[in-house]
This record gives sequence, structure tokens and C-alpha cells, in this order.
Amino acid sequence: MISKRVFPWLDERLGLTTIYKTTLDRMVPKVNWWFTLGSATLFLFVMQLVTGIMLSVYYVPSPDKAYDSIEYIMTGVAFGWLIRGIHHWGATLMVITVFIHMLRVFFYAAYKYPREITWTTGVFLLLATLGMGFTGYLLPWNQKAYWATTVGTSIAGSVPGIGDFILRALRGGSDLSAVTLARFFSAHIWMLPAVIIALIGVHLYLVIRLGISSVPKEND
Amino acid sequence: MNDIQKAQYNEKYKRAKRNGEKFFPDTLYKDLLIAIALFLLLVGLAAFIGVAAEPRADPSDTTYIPRPEWYFLFLFEMLKFFPGSIEWVGTTIIPGAAVIALLLLPFYDKNPNRHWKRRKFALTFMSVVVAAMVFLTIRAVITTPPQKDVGAVATTLPAKIAAGLDFYSVQCNECHGAEGEGGVIKGVKGLEGFKMKPINSQDEMYTRSDDTLYNIIEYGQPSLGMPPFGKAFGGELSRSDIGNLVTYLRYTWDNRVELPKEAAQTNAIPTLGPTDIPSYDVNIAPIVKRYCVSCHRPGKENNNYVMGSYADVMNSGDHKPNVVPGDLNSNLIRMIHREKIDAGGEMPPTKALSPDLVAIFERWVKAGAPEKPKK
Repeated sequence: MISKRVFPWLDERLGLTTIYKTTLDRMVPKVNWWFTLGSATLFLFVMQLVTGIMLSVYYVPSPDKAYDSIEYIMTGVAFGWLIRGIHHWGATLMVITVFIHMLRVFFYAAYKYPREITWTTGVFLLLATLGMGFTGYLLPWNQKAYWATTVGTSIAGSVPGIGDFILRALRGGSDLSAVTLARFFSAHIWMLPAVIIALIGVHLYLVIRLGISSVPKEND
Repeated sequence: MNDIQKAQYNEKYKRAKRNGEKFFPDTLYKDLLIAIALFLLLVGLAAFIGVAAEPRADPSDTTYIPRPEWYFLFLFEMLKFFPGSIEWVGTTIIPGAAVIALLLLPFYDKNPNRHWKRRKFALTFMSVVVAAMVFLTIRAVITTPPQKDVGAVATTLPAKIAAGLDFYSVQCNECHGAEGEGGVIKGVKGLEGFKMKPINSQDEMYTRSDDTLYNIIEYGQPSLGMPPFGKAFGGELSRSDIGNLVTYLRYTWDNRVELPKEAAQTNAIPTLGPTDIPSYDVNIAPIVKRYCVSCHRPGKENNNYVMGSYADVMNSGDHKPNVVPGDLNSNLIRMIHREKIDAGGEMPPTKALSPDLVAIFERWVKAGAPEKPKK
């Protein structure tokens, strides 16, 4: 059969068997359901990525058009309400799963030797997720978004010494404007996702290389 | 951890793996189940709760109570404990310290034990922090005052057109007329006797884009006597309101677009069958809202006759009562028949109500001017 010839040919060149053996066909300690939180977060991130890309087809990042474009997504685009609804709730769920995932790792002491770097990348992933929440919140350009970001950026502006610089860097001027929206949009769809994808790569590499931690026993 | 402890750990971990299971499929199936459950949850949340509609961003509306997304509420609440000049402790020192403490946790936590019984300090500390975050979040939810009610946000086209009509009736009627027909302005301070051109013509609609209409309403045309209506310039309309108003104008007067049937129904004034008894709520209020309230509201020249509610219609004004149940010689009836009496001149000042509407008023007064419809 053709698969008998195609698979070995591909395997010889791509190393499919090796990939299978190192990622899937390996022994891991028996663990409980709390250990699904990491993959749950990854799943939610992929959902955010897919729905976010779909939303970017219709969303227009300008103060004049952002609100109308979202209204169009909600009422005019087929299943636009579903895509935006999933993106909206996915953000909330993702913050929850990331946070509980962190607590799980903390309470099982999984951040200790040899998984210190996995933990550190995880903390950066937590911060990047919060950054996604903060930047995404402004994009609908409605009252809630506008005023929450006004307050949020002014809080960042209260840092001693460099506060004013941070405030201006975030807003792109002294007040919220089209520049702010462009900045938040860019951070939300380019900068932070790039950082998150890179960090997830390292995080997963380490999880596979070191193996998932086991549930500590009484003498551990 | 020293080398002996490391070797001990690695030995134990090897044993755990040997007594463990295959990652695929034994562990992975749990992850897949959770992923499916999450997907269903997401679709359910999107379908049954959805995303609440919010009014358009309005930098001029300073009455809005800002609040962050719920997962930042604990930070927001914590700032209340650091008022004024020590605010930077809450905004910089504590969050900064928390982030650094988290990042470096594996490097300063030298305790080699992993079971919770041997890590009591670390677990107690973290539990207190989490409890504090939960407490602050709940406290923030409880103590934040509710948002000023702005009514439902119009998201569908018919709802926007209906909302736009309401704004038109209140804000524009007194100068532009109920149908945008214009005419000689009467009873408006500073514009008495000004001859207003019609704004409902094809010329107007074809030569002005939505943006132009929006700007004219928001900024006004002071050189022509039109005041600004945007909140930022002293008017009463938010940006969402002006947007709805423009939608109403476009769909009502521009013959290139068709008014949706549903909107035509919502905007129509209810008609009366030959034996129906008219009531204020069903029949009179829509006419009053559309033809009278623009002038007969507080702050306008109207002999203090305001028509915002049943009680006011019956019982306000310098010449009250203007409506006497059963009496067709009531001021209101005589004036809409365009008589000039002591209480004032013909009403509405620029254009007579259509005979149908006058008839509804007469039948209502004759029936005793009831407020609620009879069942």
C-alpha cells in the first residue's frame, strides 16, 4: 500500500517516530486532575488566538470606527456574536486557569529543582496574560473601556520618577487618543502574542524535557 | 539543594515514572476532556450570557464611574489603603515586590521538602495572600457604586432609529419641526421669527454624509444660530445619542435607504379603532413626546406647562388645569384647534397637528382623560 511507502519516506526525513517517542510515548508519574490546568490554559490560548484572528478581519482600530466595527461584528457578521463572545469569556477563563495553575504548582512545590526555569517562564506568561487583558480591554472603545484605561494608565503614571514617562509611553501623549488605541492594538495582536508564543515554546520544551512533576508524598 | 538531595530527588522521580502511566493516551485523555468541557462552557457563556452592550466611549462624560476588568479589582481596591502622597507604595512598591518575589521564588526558597506538612510557612503565606486578593475583590465589588443608569444601549437598527426619534423629538423639534419641515420659529429664545429651511429634503440628505450630520449636531452651527448639542460643548447628547440621531435622520428622510419595517412600527403613533377608548399611556404619551415635549420641558419658555408625565400634563403650568376631563373647552383642546386664548397661542406653534391626532386628543378628553388603558 501507499502508506507503507509514504510513511517510512517521510519518517526518514522528518523524524516522526522520534517526535512521537519523545513527546507522546513516554512514561509520566500518575497525577490528578489539577494537573490539567496547564493544558487547559494552552487550549484557551489557542482559542483566543483563533477567535482573535477572526475578529481582526472586521475590527478597525480607530476611535471613529472601533465601536461601530464591533457592533457590526455583533449584529452583521454571521456568528460574529459567538466569536466575540468566546473571545470575551475566554479572556476571563484564561486568567482564572493561569492563576490556579500557578497555585497548583506552588502548593505541590513543583517549582523546585529541577524546574526553576519552567516556573520563571510561567510567571512571565502570567504577566503577559494580564497584559493581554489590559490591552484588549480598551479595544471596544466603549465607555467602560475608555475610562478603565484612563484610570489604569494613570495608575502606571504614579510610579516615582519615571511615572510620567510610562504614562506618556502607554498613551502616546498626555491623553487617551487614536495613538493610544493603535499602541494597545499593536501590543494586543503582535507584541504580547509573540512573547507569549515564544515563552510557551520554552515552557513546553522544559515540561517535556524534565517530565511533569509528581504529587509529593509525605516523605518528600 | 545539595548534590545528595538532587540525586535523591532524581531517584524518587525515576521510581514515580516507572510506577506511572503512558503520557499518551493515559494522561492526555484527561486534558482532552477538560478542553472539550471548556469549549462547551465558552460556547454556553457566549450564547446565554453574551457580552453586555456598552455606550460608545465619551471623553466628555465625566459622570462615568471607571472600573477595571474584574481581575484587576483587587489592585484597584488595595490603592484605597494608600491615599495621596503614599499612593506610589500601592502602585509601585507592593506590585513590584510581588512580581519579583514570584519570579525569584525557586531561588530563595531553600527548603528542600515538597510535602505540604513540611512547608507550612510557605503555604500559610501564600494562602493569606490569596485570601487577601479574594477579600479585596469582593470588597471592591460591594463598595463600588452602581453605574448611572443610561437605559438600554440600542444595538439593533430599529432600536437605534427609535432612540434617535426620541432625541429628535426632544432636542430638534422646536426649531426644525416634527418632520424636519422647518418654518418660522416661534417661542424659541433668540431665534424668534427666524425662517428655518426644511432639513428633510433630498438636497440635504444627498449632500451631507453621516459624519457631516454628526459633526453639525455635535458642534452646532453657531453662525446660523444652531447651538452645539454634544455634551463636550454644553449640550445634552452623548456620542452614542448623536450616532442614533443621525441613524434616525438617514433612515427617515433619505430615500436611498429603506426604513426597516420593525422601526416603522415602533415609531408609529398607535391608531384608534372606532370604539376604542384612548388612554394617556398608550395613545397620548407618544403624541406628546413627539410634538410637544421639545418645548414643554423644564428650562424652556412654556408658561411652566411641562408635559413629561401624566401628572404634569394634567396639573402643571401657569394656566392650569390645561386639561379638564370631559371638557372640550380645555385650554389644550382649544389651542390645538389653533385658537388664541389667554393661556397662549396656537399649538404646536409652527404646524398644526393632523386632524387624526387632534381627534385622538378630543376622544381622550371626552372619555375623562384616563391614564391607563381599560382592559
